[in-house]
Amino acid sequence: MQILKIVITGPYAAGKSQFIRTISDIEPVSTDYAVTLDEERALKRETTVALDFGTIAINDRLSLYLFGTPGQERFSFMWEHLAIGAIGYVVMVDSCRPAHFPETQRLIARFAEITDAPFVVAANKQDDQAALPPSYIRRRLGVPAETPVLPCVATDRASVKQVLLTLLQLIATQVQD
Amino acid sequence: MALEGTLRDMSLSDLFQVFRMGPKTGTLCLACADLRAIVYVAAGELIDAAVVRFPDRTVIAAHDEAVIQMLLWDDATFVFRHDPSVLHRPVRIRHNAEHLVLESIKRRDDLRSMLPYHHVTLDTHLQLSPLASGRESSVSLSMQQWRILSQVPHHSSVRAISKATRMPSDQVIRLVLELMAIGLIEIAPALQLAKQPLHHYEMAVTETEDRAPHLAWAASIHANGQAGVHERRLPVKRSLIDAVMRRVRGL
Ligand SMILES: Nc1nc2c(ncn2[C@@H]2O[C@H](COP(=O)(O)OP(=O)(O)OP(=O)(O)O)[C@@H](O)[C@H]2O)c(=O)[nH]1
Ligand SMILES: [Mg+2]
Repeated sequence: MQILKIVITGPYAAGKSQFIRTISDIEPVSTDYAVTLDEERALKRETTVALDFGTIAINDRLSLYLFGTPGQERFSFMWEHLAIGAIGYVVMVDSCRPAHFPETQRLIARFAEITDAPFVVAANKQDDQAALPPSYIRRRLGVPAETPVLPCVATDRASVKQVLLTLLQLIATQVQD
Repeated sequence: MALEGTLRDMSLSDLFQVFRMGPKTGTLCLACADLRAIVYVAAGELIDAAVVRFPDRTVIAAHDEAVIQMLLWDDATFVFRHDPSVLHRPVRIRHNAEHLVLESIKRRDDLRSMLPYHHVTLDTHLQLSPLASGRESSVSLSMQQWRILSQVPHHSSVRAISKATRMPSDQVIRLVLELMAIGLIEIAPALQLAKQPLHHYEMAVTETEDRAPHLAWAASIHANGQAGVHERRLPVKRSLIDAVMRRVRGL
């Protein structure tokens, strides 16, 4: 069995678990725990501590594995393990929470140190009409022009597919045959 | 759901730019100490606003002046909610957002606190904002603002602009912040490091001999990739990526 791995990363409550849940074949194995800090609890009740994991069977010899990273910065020691060997990654960001941009910038910088694999930024929660547009998020995160910043609704399968396809197209331009 | 934060996360001038880009319709509520403010936004334009002091609810400022007052706040929490009913409200603000931002700038000494997350130094590289294109509103710039703006396409660094215009650097930085606040220019993203050649590429296919790759992988985390898994790294073939793309398209 051959396995290709894509990592879904991003700060706390960006929608990583939801993204994997929406596209996976199997009910994803996730290890969400009750959030402890009051402030974080106000945002959501559960957080992914270890990892989210989903698969998409490509054929009987090949599978695509999706790994979500834990969102809170205090679990960032796990990023390295998850990123190694990945063919690409998605950086998810909540388009309604500008307070998370500095942490997202640190995360993007750290991943670029860990891996050369290409990535796309998914500006999530675009189903909220108040959400910041991808062009503003690109500006705030300082994402270079060659890296796509895509609108995303992690609860919507077509939107998740589009994000994955854009990443795969980017990967395809960078592999030999 | 709503767009939420503090003005240190996102400035009011940035919010106004985003409203125009949408264009968005809804209400923006702000809270700063005992002051509360509301701005009504219809199809990207600011149409009405007020600043009120709590708990007695005295109106401190209304309409254009209210917006200028809010623009002088360094910090406040904000919530913007989509609300189509705002389209039916009467228009009570006379000037566009850029005009009000420029007015508030005249009353401010320190512009850095207005854009807390933008660090402009002599080495900062600038570009014309793509967000600014296609908008019909007219902004009246001062001669000095025009001088700086006209240099941006030719000399991207603040240092080069200062040299070309023979203006002192602190003055150039202030003018740059002013033009950023009304959304005409922005900081250019840092150039990406040159891409590694392919053979250094981290990409790999993990091949396992196990029948249950899912369990095998779980075992590999716990045993640091040693137990139960025979790992081999192969360069990724284009044909594999194509197969994945076909499958994802068909999902
Ligand atoms: N409206 C909307 N809500 C979303 C979307 N994606 C995720 N959410 C919600 O946002 C919250 C956080 O989503 P999660 O998928 O748990 O986020 P996460 O990135 O896995 O969070 P951590 O594991 O704690 O870092 C949940 O309540 C989701 O239901 C979206 O596209 N639109
Ligand atoms: Mg999660």
